[in-house]
Amino acid sequence: MHTIVCVKQVLDPEIPPAKFKIDPETKKVIPPAGVPPVISVFDERAVEAACRLKDKNKGKITIISMGSAKAADVVRHTLSMGADDGIVLTDDAFENLDSFGTAYVLSKAIKKIGAFDLVLCGRQAADWGAGQVGSILGEMLGIPIITLACNIEVTGQALKIRRIVRDGFEVLEAPMPSLITVSSEIGLPRLPGGMGLMMARRKVIPTWKAVDIGAEAAMLDKANSHTEVTGLSVPTRKSECEMITGVTLVEAAGNLAARIIKLV
Amino acid sequence: MSPVSATYWGISGYIIFWVFFVVAAGLFVQRTWFLFRLIRLGKPENRFDHMGQRINNMVREVVTQRCSLKSVTRKDLAGFGHAFLFWGFSLFFLSYIIFIGLAGGFGLASVILGGTFERVFSSILDIAGLFVTIAIVWAAIRRYIVRPARLQMSAEAGIIMGMVFGLMLLHFLGDGFGLASAGVTTSWPPISGAIARLLSGSSISNLTLKHVYYSLWWLHYFLILSFAVYIPRSKHMHILASIFNEIFIPLGQKVVIEPIPVEEQENFGISKIQDFTWKDLLDLYSCAVCGRCHASCPAQLTGKTLSPREVIHNLKEHLLEAGSALLTPQPVTAKDGQPKEMLGGVVTEPEIWACTTCGACQEVCPVGIEHVRKIIGFRRNLTMSQSKMPESAQLMLRNMQSRGNPWAGVQSMRLRGDWTSGLDLKILADGDTTDTLFWVGCTGALVERNVKATLAMAKVFKAAGVDFAVLGDAETCCGDPARRAGYDFQFQVMAEQNIEMFKSHGIKQIITSCPHCLNTIKNEYPQYGGEFKVVHYTEFIADLIKQDKIKLSNELNSTLTFHDPCYLGRYNHIYQEPRGILQSIPNAKLTEMERSKSSSFCCGGGGGLMWIEEQPGTTKISHMRLEDALKTGADTVVTACPYCLQMFEESIEHKGIQSKLKALDLVEIVEAAMKQS
Repeated sequence: MHTIVCVKQVLDPEIPPAKFKIDPETKKVIPPAGVPPVISVFDERAVEAACRLKDKNKGKITIISMGSAKAADVVRHTLSMGADDGIVLTDDAFENLDSFGTAYVLSKAIKKIGAFDLVLCGRQAADWGAGQVGSILGEMLGIPIITLACNIEVTGQALKIRRIVRDGFEVLEAPMPSLITVSSEIGLPRLPGGMGLMMARRKVIPTWKAVDIGAEAAMLDKANSHTEVTGLSVPTRKSECEMITGVTLVEAAGNLAARIIKLV
Repeated sequence: MSPVSATYWGISGYIIFWVFFVVAAGLFVQRTWFLFRLIRLGKPENRFDHMGQRINNMVREVVTQRCSLKSVTRKDLAGFGHAFLFWGFSLFFLSYIIFIGLAGGFGLASVILGGTFERVFSSILDIAGLFVTIAIVWAAIRRYIVRPARLQMSAEAGIIMGMVFGLMLLHFLGDGFGLASAGVTTSWPPISGAIARLLSGSSISNLTLKHVYYSLWWLHYFLILSFAVYIPRSKHMHILASIFNEIFIPLGQKVVIEPIPVEEQENFGISKIQDFTWKDLLDLYSCAVCGRCHASCPAQLTGKTLSPREVIHNLKEHLLEAGSALLTPQPVTAKDGQPKEMLGGVVTEPEIWACTTCGACQEVCPVGIEHVRKIIGFRRNLTMSQSKMPESAQLMLRNMQSRGNPWAGVQSMRLRGDWTSGLDLKILADGDTTDTLFWVGCTGALVERNVKATLAMAKVFKAAGVDFAVLGDAETCCGDPARRAGYDFQFQVMAEQNIEMFKSHGIKQIITSCPHCLNTIKNEYPQYGGEFKVVHYTEFIADLIKQDKIKLSNELNSTLTFHDPCYLGRYNHIYQEPRGILQSIPNAKLTEMERSKSSSFCCGGGGGLMWIEEQPGTTKISHMRLEDALKTGADTVVTACPYCLQMFEESIEHKGIQSKLKALDLVEIVEAAMKQS
């Protein structure tokens, strides 16, 4: 079984708000100096899902990541978790692509990799959070798409997927290959073991450029973008504190409950 | 004439003597050989260096009984009992060789007995016997009536006390009857002489006296043989093993954490008996279950399931049980009832994660058992081979991996680099060099409370005219939390990176604010080729005071108590410097907590437990330590470790006694005492 997982490097969400700066003119985030990017938490869970499938069914995991050369660190982390190969897609032409452009680059890379049984993505990226790349990528690859999976099992030649819905989950069956986006409910990603770390350190992570994957310039042209950022701002946060009291603790708790009910 | 030279039912006494001797010796050798083979299941480890020094150490510890006397306190005097037993019994052991072996078995009675030598030796034995008897009675009272928590009730202890008591009784009676039957009524030896006088004055016939003497003599002999057969079959194999264990204890640091072997593949750390080294297994035999570790373990005292005594005892039981199966060529099948899993069964995960690696157990252990590295060995297997650990440990390790420090959340970079602003510090850029580096440490750089201490430190150094630099945001974690949590790969990566960085800046001396950084960089970086002069700031400041570069002139009307951080005291033997600094401040009164210096009680934050959630128990370790500080009546508890400081602050706040007691880092006090008023 060959699983391909798409991962993204994002700004470390642990940075304090004061360090988060944007440039409203160019509508871009200004990355703070000295903070290395981390793997998007949702994508890390997709890697975890792939590793669990590999634990059970053997097979191979290939990681692809589109981004700067620094994405190699993020890819190496996934290799230490249990992935077998990693590829970084870097090119000036890949910068500031929208969801369609990103999905296009990923689809070209996947076609170059060749045969696969499953493509996994995080449910959305931890930075922009559009949640579109997975679905568009599936469409471009011409394979079934299941979003928000919280459990994936292999049953013979098919996949059995538990999909999160508003008030529970639904169980779906899909053929291989399919594209699945993984939701957080799948559980905490593993901490790499000693073996994994040792193997990951030795692996070579190749870098592919636009020409390597045969990406057409027109598809990467910003003028052909499907989306346009019209404005970018940091939301202002207001918090109000209201003290709920009561003569006894029980009464205070009752008042608190009543107040919360009013809010929802 | 010796009872051996007589004939019994037509059989020569010599035949009886030697037949029984050979049987007993055979049983003794059979068992000790088995035990020896079990030890050889362990991995190799070189503890054969400096053998002269090692043997010297052993003699100094064992012969003088420093091993058991060092832990004597007003509340626990049992060490004296052991010393008397040891010295007394050693004399008896010698007497068995001379009087029973040589005089009896080898028929040298005419040479050895009947002279001044016998009289003097017997007199000494009488007195020694008295001490041994008193020690045994005392031990029995302690064990069965007083019942201190550190002792574990076992039949074995009762058997051995009965045996030793029997040996003493037989010595007195045997010698008494022997002297009486020979018609000797002397006042030396005092006790058996008195018995002899009593018997001679009675109406018992000489022949009866002689028959009773012979019977007692043989009974005595058989009891000695049974003793020899029993010893290696009981927890009292301690007598045989601990002497060797004292030889093979670590020569430098008490707690030695070895790097993981590079060639090791799938299985890291310790999950089964064969993963231990032979010294670890010898440790198990050496344990006499005295429970000193049990009574000093902060996890145990606060109601966690961990007891270092039980860990060692249970591992020994497991070794004896599972080891015999491992020695037989055919492996046991699952159906035969596999011996219990060692990791997770014999020693459980809650026990393993409760340890703060404070080293109190090793400090008090009379026989040099190394508890901490076993616990870390288990953690290594859990984290690196099984990826099984508390979620809090995982979060900490992930932060170290992706962010270079163990702190999460907004802490992660709030102040790293920023705290230096306005101080005009030399921050090392690529290519810069410095002789002296102030290694701030993650907690000192990232946690608001500890940053205050860091600022005070920088100001003190500047005021004293120290030429130093800091790494600013290029500083990462030293790796300590990862190593204590068993995630040694992460530690290794950080150690190698840091060593390379130190070398690239030409650093010669490193001053650390955190004792954990101190221990790691000073004692563990040499494992990876990093040899630097590393000092803790308390040593450095004590030196500056000595050189008159710092004058502590401001009065401090305060009663202080100093809490010894485990990694400063027990791990690095720095007890005097912090006290010296505090005592040199005018009007500062220093009081000591009951548990201080080498018997200091952990704050609860070591061993990665600053981040790893404390196991459930009756109370938190930090809260128990706070009580110690409160008992002194001091208004300020002073420490020299960022973890300890946080732990104290947290427990003071929890108790809501901020007005009664405050917690300060020693450097904050130094800064206050230096200020121009």
